[in-house]
Amino acid sequence: MGATMTQKILARTSGRESVQHGEIIWASPDLVTAPEVSFSAYIKRIREIGVTKLAHPERVAVIIDHEVPVHSVAGAERNKLTRQLAQEWSVGHFFDGVGITHPLMVEQGLVAPGMFAAGADSHAPGLGAVGALSVPFGFEVSMVLATGQIWMKVPETIRVRLHGACRPGVAARDIVLATMQQLDDEVTSYRVIEYQGEGLSTLSVPERMTICGLCVDAGAKSGIAAVDQRCIDYLSAHGVVDQQAPELINSDADAEYAMTIDIDLSTLTPRVSIPPSPNHVREAQAMSGIVIQHAYIGSCVSGSIEDIRSAAAILRGRKVHADVNLLVIPATQQVFQQALQEGLLTELTAAGATISPSTCGPCFGGIAQLTAGERRISTSTRNDPGRMGSNEAEIFLASAMTVAASAITGHITDPRAYAASAEGGAS
Amino acid sequence: MSAVGKSTSGRAWKFSSDISSDQLISARHVFEFDPRMLRHHLLAEVRPEFAQQAQPGDVIVAGRNFAHGSNHSHPFLAMKALGVGLLVRSLSRGPFRLAIFMGVPVLMAGSDVLDAIDDGDQLEIDFSRGAIFNATSGKQMQVEPLAPFLQDIVNAGGGLEFVKSQLVS
Repeated sequence: MGATMTQKILARTSGRESVQHGEIIWASPDLVTAPEVSFSAYIKRIREIGVTKLAHPERVAVIIDHEVPVHSVAGAERNKLTRQLAQEWSVGHFFDGVGITHPLMVEQGLVAPGMFAAGADSHAPGLGAVGALSVPFGFEVSMVLATGQIWMKVPETIRVRLHGACRPGVAARDIVLATMQQLDDEVTSYRVIEYQGEGLSTLSVPERMTICGLCVDAGAKSGIAAVDQRCIDYLSAHGVVDQQAPELINSDADAEYAMTIDIDLSTLTPRVSIPPSPNHVREAQAMSGIVIQHAYIGSCVSGSIEDIRSAAAILRGRKVHADVNLLVIPATQQVFQQALQEGLLTELTAAGATISPSTCGPCFGGIAQLTAGERRISTSTRNDPGRMGSNEAEIFLASAMTVAASAITGHITDPRAYAASAEGGAS
Repeated sequence: MSAVGKSTSGRAWKFSSDISSDQLISARHVFEFDPRMLRHHLLAEVRPEFAQQAQPGDVIVAGRNFAHGSNHSHPFLAMKALGVGLLVRSLSRGPFRLAIFMGVPVLMAGSDVLDAIDDGDQLEIDFSRGAIFNATSGKQMQVEPLAPFLQDIVNAGGGLEFVKSQLVS
């Protein structure tokens, strides 16, 4: 019996030839990511049990990304402490306000196919875009910092085979929302969702971050994408050398899956997650009665240059509706600079958008809060009541194109008509 | 080995299915890691009296998909601080791990067991054996206990206490 990508990764990092689904192993993560939200709390806790140094400081990345620029004295104190601790504990990779953890790790070339990463943040699975297994562990990251190890129950894999290509106006977000419609959380729980198939090659690495990062909101343990030439080329351009051959990383032909689903990308339509949960999915077209006051493009899963290009293409020469606030946040400073160079931020601000520095901010209600009765359409990760401020505000989740089109009209809008004219204008 | 025969006794606090992590503790408390503060926020927006009245030995009884969504540690730091246990139909993987890691006793139960418990019932639970006695109704019930490996972590007081001996030695 062959092995899945996940089994191969967990076998290697637990020093084993092979691992079986369901067995408990101790694995050694190759990369540990912790944002400023919790890093100092973890250090405080491991100090209490007598730990004085990190097991593998060179594998640890600490990132200030949730409150950027800082806007509270408590935050300033936390950041000061985080900087100090990162130095004292010899943290290998420290990033201070230059982007959101998950896209930053990929962009900085810190993630290679076949790696096992342990993340403090819920959306760590985004690293699966480049064939790494990245699992959110929350406070358990403190144990990885202290011991270099974490226990894992080897998860089964659900295979999602992608076929064809998305039509104009349909985005990576719509692929993951279509996946959620087929797989409820009873099915996905404790399992990894693995994307493969020829349709995967139509997606860029940042688009793969969208579909892998949101697997956690589909209820899965993680998401991972098979490695192909497009992934290898992207990583080479980002300084990742010594990549293993894809056949060593990817699942074997005779690997065992819990189940397989097939998605024909050419049949997909724009979709929206309605409150109170990301997996409450509806057709964007059917939601046009929903009036919105706020629109947001950004987050670890949808703040890439592709997201910003797709929004700018729709907003080019148009105006954000007078009753709508559109906020755009490039996920990293590199994306910010790229968008500046391409003139995208000029176009977006001309249309009426507000641009903010790279941060997780709005996703958890850190900035740009909503009050009772307000609605936002957003490319961020979650729409639980209270997530962006008031419990009586409503959050709808969709692709950057759907958010851009909705910002123009002031109600939830299927972006296909706009996307088609944007394509026509470009040719 | 796991502690055997150690029962806890307390009140059942009953909740529905699909209580999300953000409902347990709002994401706006994401920067707070002090359990003494977090205990006041647990379920504050769903049922405000819970955090004020819950006593050590009490049990949160909930349906399926408990604590889904954000993989936040905060609700489990708060449960540990309050000394409450968990009896749920299902718990997704992230929160399940965090409960064990924080040393919160957990049992999974079918709807037959959960339906036989009303809010406010007095429960005596032996988590190591999976034995549940509803003292209010007089009904004795049995569920599958946690695997011994996981019980060892909970009984040590959580993941860091569990590995402490090997770290210090």
